[in-house]
Amino acid sequence: MATLSAWQERLEATALAPVSRTGARFWALVGVEVAVLGWGLYAYSVQLRDGLVVTGMRDRISWGLYIATFVFFIGISHAGTLISAILRVSQARWRTPVTRIAEFITVVALICGASFVIIDLGRPDRVLFVFAYGRWQSPIIWDVLAITTYLTGSIVYLFVPMIPDLALFRDRLTGRTSRWRAWLYRTLAIGWNGNVAQRRSLIAAIGMLMILIIPIAVSVHTVVSWIFAMTLRVPWNSALFGAFFVAGAIFSGIAILIIVMAILRRVYRLHEYVTAKQFIYLGYLLAAFAAIMIYANISELLIHGYKLEEGAGFHLRQLFLAEFAPLFWFYLIGGLIAPIVIVLLPATRTVAGVVVASILVTVAMWIERYVIVVSGLRVPLMPYESADYAPTWVEWSIFAGGLALFALLITLFTKVFPIIAVWEVAEDHNAAVTSPAPTYAAVLDIAADSAGGSS
Amino acid sequence: MKATMRHTIRAALALLAVGTITVVLTAPALASHVVVRTAFPTSGTVGEIVPLAVDVRTPEGAPLPGTTVTYYLHMSFAGVGGEAQIGRAVTDQNGVATIGYQPRAAGLHELRMEYLPPGATAAEQVMGAFDVTGGPQLVRPSGGVDIPGINSGLLMAVLGTVWLILLSVAFRLVAIARAGGATGPAPGDAPR
Repeated sequence: MATLSAWQERLEATALAPVSRTGARFWALVGVEVAVLGWGLYAYSVQLRDGLVVTGMRDRISWGLYIATFVFFIGISHAGTLISAILRVSQARWRTPVTRIAEFITVVALICGASFVIIDLGRPDRVLFVFAYGRWQSPIIWDVLAITTYLTGSIVYLFVPMIPDLALFRDRLTGRTSRWRAWLYRTLAIGWNGNVAQRRSLIAAIGMLMILIIPIAVSVHTVVSWIFAMTLRVPWNSALFGAFFVAGAIFSGIAILIIVMAILRRVYRLHEYVTAKQFIYLGYLLAAFAAIMIYANISELLIHGYKLEEGAGFHLRQLFLAEFAPLFWFYLIGGLIAPIVIVLLPATRTVAGVVVASILVTVAMWIERYVIVVSGLRVPLMPYESADYAPTWVEWSIFAGGLALFALLITLFTKVFPIIAVWEVAEDHNAAVTSPAPTYAAVLDIAADSAGGSS
Repeated sequence: MKATMRHTIRAALALLAVGTITVVLTAPALASHVVVRTAFPTSGTVGEIVPLAVDVRTPEGAPLPGTTVTYYLHMSFAGVGGEAQIGRAVTDQNGVATIGYQPRAAGLHELRMEYLPPGATAAEQVMGAFDVTGGPQLVRPSGGVDIPGINSGLLMAVLGTVWLILLSVAFRLVAIARAGGATGPAPGDAPR
């Protein structure tokens, strides 16, 4: 038991380390992120001043980089849902070191994604029109409702399992941290001391949330797909779009989770807890979803190509042979086939290999969103020449600002909140050492142990 | 004398040739000459169907059944003008061809009807117009398929249930906070 206690102390020290020590490299990183974000804000101020004419969007191609990035961010928000909720429901133990990161990616990605819709509006004040004049029959309203509900649920789902760890921070950092941090941990720990009544409530809350969050997440990306599928455009005429988007969302969510995990593991030396096992298992999931995406693409494109409704020929030509061919072939080969090969070959089935596959998937999935949005609008509705679209510097700058905001929020989170779900990791370890059958009661016993000293 | 005779014969032959050519060339036109009248209402309303009738008869007044009439409407959109074919009908036993047209905009509607009379090789045309009044509503689509229970009420019920569950989670958090000040750790807990 002394060994177990030493292990737990090491775990707690690892969890507390990012909060306790802040080096110059951290501030340098924050500086870069703030600078890019500031440049993006400047570009946005130009757009606000001069209007959407500063973008490449016009009457015929009226969605572009912003909406593609919105769909991309909503997609990667599925990282938290899959890893945390689905694997929690299925009681997969290996998930425990990465759940907290996954849940936080969800919240940050939703905030960034929702921002891009408002940016795309041109006039942000008109967001209020959605509430003032919105109609229940509109997919736009469904989208607003689904994303709002998902964001609320995700914040709650991030917070509730974090309560025992916040109590740990409250107790361990008393007198060793700033007053605002002490106040923050004291407030957010909501008086947790691990008694029976608290555990019962926490178990019930997590149980409800992990069941609830899965259908909400699925509904969010389904509704996002309906914004396209319910618009009269030949390339978007598909009943498969909902499932296609959900699969793509989980696919890109896993990829971004692997990348963030790899960075945090290296920066905060989490090698003991975030091991090769997590990367390889997530790599398997990545490969499985790549296979699902290949199937969905074949189904989608073959049906379009076989029926060849008016406009479908134009669309397939621009995808495979003309304007979008380089992007689309990269998506198919680099984003769908290569990750499967990397994960299945023993020589490349390593942490580095899985990270490379994830980078490919992330880039490819952003490209896929861009191609879906722009190529779909490019197909002429009447016998006129097709329009063209190229993002301007304003759009690229705002896009870079969005990515910087995403990185900045994650960077700051790691300096304030526990990036490892200490009690869950401890439960996993404890179960492996002492008992092969983990229970939630056991989980929370350990969590309460971690929160010791508060009562 | 001979010269006079020769000139007279030449003039007669020339006249005969010109007459023959004239008859040959104008024969179809003469044969295809028909009397065409339009029977349009003087005015219509946006969204309501307007009957557009064309009456095709012989010069003697007999109806000409079986004549195809094609209707073209002069339209303009975004500064570009042109004709759009809005329908085609064949004259009935009374020599009347009719289509129903649903105006999508208010204003004067100018139409051109094209037909090919019996025996003719080139199409002929007749013009017509009618005025349309009404609001700016272009199209009123049908309401779709009404499936009982599948409506915005169901959406609100599902959404309400989700938010109720989230609210119950909030109550659990309140319970955790209240229990924190009420009791200590459970007996038998591992030492902290």
